[in-house]
Amino acid sequence: MSTCAEDHLPLHPLEFRILLAVLDGPSYGLRIVEEIEARERSVGTLYPANLYRRIRSLLSDGLLAESSPPEGADTRRTYVLLTPLGREVAVAETARLRDLVAEAERYEVLDGS
Amino acid sequence: MSLGPTEARLYRAMLRLLPRDMRRRFGHDMTELFAARLQRARGSALRMAGVWLRAVFDTVEHSLATRTPKRDWEGWTMGFIGQDLRTSIRSLGRSPVFALASVLTLGLGIGASTATFSVVHSVLLEEFPFEDPDRLVFVWPEVNANKTMALMAEERMTALSGVSGLSNWTLTLTGLGEPVEVSGLLVSPDYFEILGVSPVMGRSFPADADLPGSGNVVILSHDFWVRLFGSDPQVVGRVIELGGGGHESREVIGVMPPGIDKLWADVDVWVPLEGERSLGLADDNTWYVNERVARLAPGATLEQANGQVAAYARAVADELPGHFEEEEVTGATVQPLRGYLTRDIAGSIWIALGAVSLVLLIGCFNVANLLLARGETRSKDFAVRVALGAGRQRIVMLLIGDAVVIGILGGALGVLLAHRLVQLVAAVGPSELPGIGDVGLNGPVIAYALLVTTIAVLVAGLAPAFRVARGGTTAGLRGTARGSRGHPLGPVTSVLVGSQVALAVMVAVGSGLMLRSLDGLMAVDPGIEGDRVLAFRPTPPQNRYPDPESYRDYYSQVIERVSALPGVDAVGGINLMPGRLDNWSFPTHPEGYVVPAGAPTPVANFRAVRSGYFQATGIPVLTGRAISGADRSNAEPVVLVNETFVETFWPGEDPLGKTLSIFSASGTSYQVVGLVADTRQHGPRRETQPEMYFSDLQIPWDALSLWIVARVRDDDPMALAQAVRETVWEIDPDVPISGVSRLAEVLNETTATTRFMTWLLTAFGALALALCAIGVFGVTAYSSGRRKAEFGVRLALGASRVGVVASAVSRSLGPILIGLLLGTVGAVSTTDYLASSLYGIEPRDPVTFAAVVVVMAAVGLLAAAVPAWRASRVDPVRVLGSE
Repeated sequence: MSTCAEDHLPLHPLEFRILLAVLDGPSYGLRIVEEIEARERSVGTLYPANLYRRIRSLLSDGLLAESSPPEGADTRRTYVLLTPLGREVAVAETARLRDLVAEAERYEVLDGS
Repeated sequence: MSLGPTEARLYRAMLRLLPRDMRRRFGHDMTELFAARLQRARGSALRMAGVWLRAVFDTVEHSLATRTPKRDWEGWTMGFIGQDLRTSIRSLGRSPVFALASVLTLGLGIGASTATFSVVHSVLLEEFPFEDPDRLVFVWPEVNANKTMALMAEERMTALSGVSGLSNWTLTLTGLGEPVEVSGLLVSPDYFEILGVSPVMGRSFPADADLPGSGNVVILSHDFWVRLFGSDPQVVGRVIELGGGGHESREVIGVMPPGIDKLWADVDVWVPLEGERSLGLADDNTWYVNERVARLAPGATLEQANGQVAAYARAVADELPGHFEEEEVTGATVQPLRGYLTRDIAGSIWIALGAVSLVLLIGCFNVANLLLARGETRSKDFAVRVALGAGRQRIVMLLIGDAVVIGILGGALGVLLAHRLVQLVAAVGPSELPGIGDVGLNGPVIAYALLVTTIAVLVAGLAPAFRVARGGTTAGLRGTARGSRGHPLGPVTSVLVGSQVALAVMVAVGSGLMLRSLDGLMAVDPGIEGDRVLAFRPTPPQNRYPDPESYRDYYSQVIERVSALPGVDAVGGINLMPGRLDNWSFPTHPEGYVVPAGAPTPVANFRAVRSGYFQATGIPVLTGRAISGADRSNAEPVVLVNETFVETFWPGEDPLGKTLSIFSASGTSYQVVGLVADTRQHGPRRETQPEMYFSDLQIPWDALSLWIVARVRDDDPMALAQAVRETVWEIDPDVPISGVSRLAEVLNETTATTRFMTWLLTAFGALALALCAIGVFGVTAYSSGRRKAEFGVRLALGASRVGVVASAVSRSLGPILIGLLLGTVGAVSTTDYLASSLYGIEPRDPVTFAAVVVVMAAVGLLAAAVPAWRASRVDPVRVLGSE
C-alpha cells in the first residue's frame, strides 16, 4: 500500500467518482450511488458487486477508511470516509484529468470534430 | 424498499460467489442497493428479469475480478472474451456432433430444473400479494368453527390483532345472460384490513356489514369483474341479482386487485359473514366457518400466538362440552399461511427439485466427460501451443471457454424448454396446489436458470481444466496417443462414470417407488362405478325457490326429466359429491351404543341422498332396501348406514330395524332400513369412515342443494351432457348448472397430486437413465476407439472378438459396479423422505431396489458393449498397416 498519491494514478473512473461522493463526509453504498447518479445522469446503472469491489479496493489501498455509523443510523450499514491520502489522490487525479483536458483542448478536439 | 424473502435468499446465495470478507463487510449494503435496483423495475416482469440478469453478470464478473490481481484483470477479460471464446466457438463449430450432444444434455437438465424451480417458486416461495404476509396466520385450523368462535379468538389471544372467519359459499348470479354459479367467500368486515389489501375501485366492507340484514353488499374479484362485467368502470354502486346467503340481490361496493382471489380457493366474490355478535358460543349456528385467518399483533411472535391458542381452545371446549375431541383441543395450533396451505405437498415438491438437480448433475458429468475426451483429442494442438510459448493458464482458459460456450447455448435451450414445460405444468398441474396456475418464467426463475447454468459450466469445465492444469498436455507431442497405458478410462473419467451411475440409481429408485405406490393406489376399489356416470350440479337461485318445498320439488323434476332421456338408466342425487374434499360429519347416537367414559360423542359422516343414487353410482345395498321416493317428510324417518358404521357401533349385529339420531340423543329417531357397502369417498388414501345416508326429503332443515348423478348406457356419459343441460333448462332457464363431469374423473381428482408427482419423478428417472446410458456409451466409445490398434493386434494374434469385447467391457465394469453400490447406499439413506408420499409400500421396498439395480446394470453393460463391439470390428491388417 503506497502512501504516495502519484502511485495510485490513474484512478478507475468509478473509484474517482466514489472518492468525490464522500468528499463531504462519511457515507454508505446506496447513498454514494444516489449521489453519483444524481450528479451524472450518463453514468449508467451501478450494480452492487461492481461498486463494492471498488470500495473494497479503495479501503485496502488506504484511500478510504471505515467509519462508525452516525447517531441514529442503521448500524448494519458500512460507512466509509475519505482518508488524507484519499483526499490527496482525488486532488492529484483531478489535476491529471484537468491537464489531460487542457491538452485535448489545445488540439481543438471539440471544435474540429 | 426491501427484498421479498425468496428474492433475498436468492441474492444472498449469489453473493456467496464473492470473497467472504466482502460478503461480511458489505452483504447488507449490497442487498440494500440491489433492492433499490429491483424496486425501480417492479411492475414489469421483463425489467425485473433484466435486473436479475445484470445482477448475475455483475456478481460473476466481479467475483472473478476480486480474485485476479488488479492490473491483470482488464487485459485478462479482454483476452478471454476476445480470443478464447471465439476460438472455442470456432472449434465447437468444427465438431457439431460433440457440440450438439453437449448442448442437448445440458439444455435438457437446465430446462427440467428451471421448470421444476418455477413450481417451487410459484407454490412455495412467491410472496403473497398482502402486506407483510409472513405475519398472517391460520388460527386453530384443525377444526370447523362458528362466527362467535372467531370473535373469541380475537378477544382472548393478545398475540393476534385481527381475526376473520372464512367460509366458502356458492351463490347464483342471474340477469346477465346465462345463469352462473358464483364461488363466494364469506368474510369478516375487517378481512381486507387484516390482509392489508385495498380495493382498486370502490371501498372495503363497512364495519357493521356482518350484522344480520346489513350484509347485502359484495366485493368482486378482479378476474370476475373482467369476465362478467367486461371491466365496467361504473360497476361500483350497481345492484346485481346475486342470490344466496340470505340475500336475493347485493350492491357492488368494490373491486379487488388481481392475484388475491386464488389463494385458498378460486374466489369470484367476497360477501360479509353475517350473524349476531353477542350470541353465546352454543347458540351461534354458523358452524360453516371453515378457517380463521389472522394477523399477528405488532411485536407478537408466532410462538407467543401458539402459546395462547391452547388456553383459547380449552375455553371454547369448556363452553361446548362434547363438541371437540380431546386431541383437537390439546393439538390446537396457529399456523403460518403458506406452511399450512402447502403442508401436504411441500415435501414432494422439494423432493422433485432434489431429483431434477441430480439429473442435471448427471448431465454435467456427461459434458465433463465429453470435454475430457475432447481435451485428449486436442492434446496435440495444446502441446503445439505450449511449445510456442502459451502458458498453461491459456490452455485452461481454452477448455473453460468450451464449457462457457456450451453452457450459454445449453442455458438458452434450457430456458426455451422450460418455457414450454411451464405452460404444460400450468395446464395439467393439480388445481389444489395454490399458485400452480400462475407458474411462469419470471425474474427469480430466470435468475435460478442463470445460476444453475453457471454451476453447470463450472462443474462441466473444471474437471478437464484441472487435468490440463496438472500437466495433462505434455503427452501430446510424444506421438499419437495410444491410450492403452494406465487405467483405461483415466481416474477422473472413472469417478465421473461411477458418480453418474450412483446418481441415476438414486433418482430411478425414487421414481420406481412412486410408480409402485401409484399402482397400489389405483388398484384400490373406490366402491363406486363412475365410468358411465354423468355428474352435474344445478343450483336453483334462492329468490326463485324461497321455500324448501319448491326447492326440493325442483330437484324432483330434474330427476324425473333426466330419467326420461333416451340412454339414461338411473338418476339420483346427493348433497356432497364423492371425490370432492368437502365433508359433513355430525354427532350420532346409535341405538344401544354406550359411549366409553370420558370419550366425546361419536361422529359419523352425513349424506342426504335422493332415490336412485345407489343404483346410479353402483354402490351395492347389501341388505334391506335403498332410499325410495316414498321416503318423504310425512313417512317414517329412515336411514342407511355403511359397513364401517355397523362395525364401529353395532359389531356383529344386524343393523336392520335399529334406530339412530343425530346431534342429540332426544332428536328425531331414524330407522335403519338398509346396509350399503363401504366406499372411498375421499380417495384411496383415506380410510372409510362410518357413514349415514338420509333421504334429503326427510331432513328437518332448509332444503339442501344436490349433485345429480345419471348412469348412462353409452361408454361416454359426456356425450349426453348437452341434452341434459337443455332438459334442465327446460324446467327453468335461470338455474345455473356447474360441475358437469364424468364421475370417474371427479373420483380421479383425489389422486391428481400423487399422479402429477409420480409422472414428474418418472420423467426425471427416465431422463437420468438415458443420460447415464449416453455417458457410459460415450466414454466406452471413446476409449474403445483409442484402443482399436490394440484390438487389431490381439485379433491378429488369434483372440476371439467376444474375448476382445469382454475385455473392453470389463474395464468399464468397475466404475459401473461401484456406482451401483454407492447409488443403492445413497437411495437407502434418502428414500425415507418419500415415505409420506408412498402408499402400500415401504421406502426401502426390496423389489424396487432390485429392479432398479438390474435395469441399471443391464443398461450400463449394453451401453458399454455396443461401442466396444463396433470398435472390435476392425480389420487387423489395416490397423497394423496404419501403425
